[in-house]
Amino acid sequence: MMRYAIRHITRFDYAEAAGFARCNLRLRPILWSGQALEDYALLVEPGGHTEPARAQAGLANVTRLVVERPERMLTIESRATVRVERPIPLPSPTDPTLAEIRAMMAEVADAGPASPVSYLFPSAHVPIVPEIAAWCAEDLADDRGILDVAIALARRIQRDFAFDPTATLVDTPIAEAFAKRGGVCQDFAQIMLSGLRGAGLSAAYCSGYLRTLPPPGQERLVGADATHAWVLVWAGPVLGWVGVDPTNGIWMAEDHVVMAIGRDYADIAPIDGVVLGSGAQTMQVSVDVEPLPVG
Amino acid sequence: MASRAINGRFDAGATGGRWLDAYCAAAPTGDMLCHATAQDRAAWEAAFEELAGVPGNTLAAARERAQRHSDDIGTAYRAAGENEERRWPLSPVPLLIGADEWRGIADGMAERADLFESVIADIHGGQRLVADGVLPAMLVTGSPLFLRPMVGLVPPGGHQLHFMAADLCRGPDGRWRVLADHVRVPVGAGYALENRLAIGRTLGGLPSRMNIERHAPFFAAMRAGIAAACRRAEPRIGLLTSGKLNPSYPEQAHLARYLGFLLVEGADLAVRDDQLYVRTIAGLKRIDALWRRIDPRLIDPLAFDANSTIGVPGLVDAMAAGNVVIANAPGVGVLESPAFAAFLPALGERLLGRAPSLSSIGTWWCGRAEDRARVLASLDQLVVGPAFAGPVAELAGPVLGASLDAAARGRLATAMALRPQDYVGQEVAELSTMPTVCDGGLLPRPFSLRVFAARGGDGRWVVLPGGFVRIGDQPDARAAVMGEGSWSADVIVHGPDPVAPVSLLQPTDSVELRRNPGTLPSRVADNMFWLGRYLERGEALLGVIRVLFGHSISADTGAALAPATVERLVTIIADTGAAGRPPSHRRRDLVDFAREAMESVDGWGSVRAINRLATGIGGVSRDRLSLDMVRLLDAPYPVTGTLLDRAGTLQRRYAALAGLSAEHMGRTDAWRFHDLGRRIERAMAATRTLLGVDLRRASAEDLSTLLDLADSQISYRQRYLMGFARVPVIDLIALDPGNPRGIAFQVETIVGHLAKLPVLNDAGIAEPQQRIAARLTASIAMTSAERLDRGWVLEINQQLQKLSDAIATRYFLQGAQPLREAGLTLA
Repeated sequence: MMRYAIRHITRFDYAEAAGFARCNLRLRPILWSGQALEDYALLVEPGGHTEPARAQAGLANVTRLVVERPERMLTIESRATVRVERPIPLPSPTDPTLAEIRAMMAEVADAGPASPVSYLFPSAHVPIVPEIAAWCAEDLADDRGILDVAIALARRIQRDFAFDPTATLVDTPIAEAFAKRGGVCQDFAQIMLSGLRGAGLSAAYCSGYLRTLPPPGQERLVGADATHAWVLVWAGPVLGWVGVDPTNGIWMAEDHVVMAIGRDYADIAPIDGVVLGSGAQTMQVSVDVEPLPVG
Repeated sequence: MASRAINGRFDAGATGGRWLDAYCAAAPTGDMLCHATAQDRAAWEAAFEELAGVPGNTLAAARERAQRHSDDIGTAYRAAGENEERRWPLSPVPLLIGADEWRGIADGMAERADLFESVIADIHGGQRLVADGVLPAMLVTGSPLFLRPMVGLVPPGGHQLHFMAADLCRGPDGRWRVLADHVRVPVGAGYALENRLAIGRTLGGLPSRMNIERHAPFFAAMRAGIAAACRRAEPRIGLLTSGKLNPSYPEQAHLARYLGFLLVEGADLAVRDDQLYVRTIAGLKRIDALWRRIDPRLIDPLAFDANSTIGVPGLVDAMAAGNVVIANAPGVGVLESPAFAAFLPALGERLLGRAPSLSSIGTWWCGRAEDRARVLASLDQLVVGPAFAGPVAELAGPVLGASLDAAARGRLATAMALRPQDYVGQEVAELSTMPTVCDGGLLPRPFSLRVFAARGGDGRWVVLPGGFVRIGDQPDARAAVMGEGSWSADVIVHGPDPVAPVSLLQPTDSVELRRNPGTLPSRVADNMFWLGRYLERGEALLGVIRVLFGHSISADTGAALAPATVERLVTIIADTGAAGRPPSHRRRDLVDFAREAMESVDGWGSVRAINRLATGIGGVSRDRLSLDMVRLLDAPYPVTGTLLDRAGTLQRRYAALAGLSAEHMGRTDAWRFHDLGRRIERAMAATRTLLGVDLRRASAEDLSTLLDLADSQISYRQRYLMGFARVPVIDLIALDPGNPRGIAFQVETIVGHLAKLPVLNDAGIAEPQQRIAARLTASIAMTSAERLDRGWVLEINQQLQKLSDAIATRYFLQGAQPLREAGLTLA
């Protein structure tokens, strides 16, 4: 079991005072199996009006923020204390095969936001790209078990792709990141989603946090000090959703904290919205994930 | 039906009869005309008699005439990605459908619309149909048009659908079936209206000979249906367009004008405290309903696509709060997926207790194993295509299975094994034919029919009696199913019973009399103001060019004007930015200079560039300008004849536009802004003219040129019998309120307009634009022609510029661009 204190601060600076801002904040970690939220606070400077937003595209806690007269600066701080208790999945010969998963999906009579059929189809940022599908297909034989396939593909992406924040931007198409064989967690997660969905499997985009401090004697994990993104694979009605992190080639376990789940980044961007104003905008993000004593 | 009286040189009945006989010799089984009932056949004969009576009495002449009427009405469309509008291809032969046959179509459409409403209400509600296995979950989540944020939201009035359309085909057995449904953005009702107008003009005698069902009650019902869902008894309804580049913008403008809806774009709208407002010249005004003609995913960046710049932040919240009716609700497009047709019989059984009477063409969804097996086994008889919108692996769009070779079939089967849910098989429909004019003769061609249904004030569906037909230009029915038809035709529903004349101009419900109707959105005021300024600016620039060359080009001498005068004219033109100074005053250089000022495509100063700006505004102001004005604005820039000829053509065009705006535009606020633009620009041109002359030492030629430029020669000669004298000329151009080309007259008119426009405060405190106008009035009153100097003219020029800015600040949207940065994003 792990406990974390998370501080996630986003600061916007405007060249000229903005007219008003309306944003959707998807910062408060959702309720998800293996984790519990002990404490949460959202702080906005200068003050604004917040309320739960009605409109949701994915699994996220959406807060609508309205700032009628923003100054030259807007700071949004999200503080969460989270307890995580999540075993590492173990692939087994009895896991459903990919062919079996496809057949199970056809039986699903649920179109809700946690249903596998909600993450089976291409989405705005995750089109099905023939080149990506073909590259991933090597790991996606019909008769292999779903967990075996999930970790194999994640490890191959981790091995063959370079972590390179200069290679891509937040809206770089996945085909371009794939051609460069480089990018950041968002690119790797979305490329993996595209490969899995192309093979008729259901996979969701997961955003959240990765623990900051490396365990003694081990290398520091990439993705620390920023929000992180990885993949949830649907492994049939018994196993449910299983997390796998293609940036690091590992399972989602007690180092990962789930913030929100969607079809792709656009569904669950931590902050998006509209600012009325004419000046330029700059943004700084800082994330701190501090392990707490368990007790 | 009795033959009409002999019409001049020929018997129209005999000619029409000959055409019919020749046509039926070649028409296939199930043709609408040749296999019609006796009563319907009589209607066709009447239509052909009318066609034969068209002057010229050939089919080619009838076709040309119908096309010309269609062009005159202003029917046009724009192909996606194109900037130019295209003419709408209208066939002169309408499709005639008897009232009995039509009743089956209309009842079927109404039933289908009720079914669709029930299904979408469930998808946006409890999703019982999915839980109970009537509708596969993938049919919902597979559609990119499914909008999850709509789930759980009940629209005001309780209805998700207010308007829908369907493409129907008729088999040779006479059975009508549905090829495709349109609920997301059902387009084409405007074209149906315009086709009817054009055919009515072409076949003028037909309405009196047949009992033709009218269109107007349908649109009145639709307006009442939307209004019934609104909270306020007298709602303000907008037609939300994405603007000029939308393929059906001309149709939208036409419909907005016909229905009395306000044509608005996202930038015109704002949501405050869950209420929707339009930004108007009189401040924010509430809007109660939107007829949405933009992609629903783009209507609200806070609800759906955060990168949308054409949407209204908070619109969906306003809808959820019950304050705005959106017709149709976002997310209804999920019903349009081709795969949906496979489930309509079962959905009908569940929700209506019966399968829909108007069925879809045979459809098999490959997400069901047995359907997939059937599709792969009978590819030769089917169309295979994407089950939802957009391309899928191995298929960019629907294709005839028979056209796929063995290798393509193998790849398709492999792709389907991975993602079967992405594919659908559809029956290849056999289509009835109808007559169309081809190569001067009548030929049978396959057609499809688009029909429209609207929810009326009582909540029940009303079907437009008619619609429009698309006719394939190939005899092969399959080609017509797959592609866009190349001709359109009107659809006339006729019956034995006389039809009461109803027009939207005299609606059944009572309407308040309005002398100055509507609410003027700020964006429209902005456009009208600048249209006025550009037209006046172009006219003034043409005037200077004509004065320069009226003398020096047409005359062989090339230098009828004194060098100093030529220099002043050159300076006036060069200072507007129309052209760079010529290297000399030699004739060749001056001609090049004039050509550049007229026709340069670089920059914003040439006549051509100004004309382009005016044309651009004309394109987005179709709902505010008369058709004649739109046509003049749309007329291509003249390219034939000499430079002087072209200048003359344009000057006459501008004069015609000025005449139309003065004599034909209603005295609305829209007109007032247009005229304000003209007055300010004209006064500024007069100041520029005065600044070009040394007012203290003006020669007789200078004075004559001044009068030419100010178009005031005749006014001067009427007032003064003597030759040109300095003080009277200056007085006439600057201070005489009786000269409609002079500065004083413009200022007086401006003051009058400003007094009639809405003001924000009612405390009697003058607003900035009123203060500047008052200052201009005072400047004119407190000087005299003797004392008037360059400083005075400069001051007037600057005040006019300030006045233009003050009007923009007060009445128009702030800035030319929406001040909006969409999609704040975070890595």
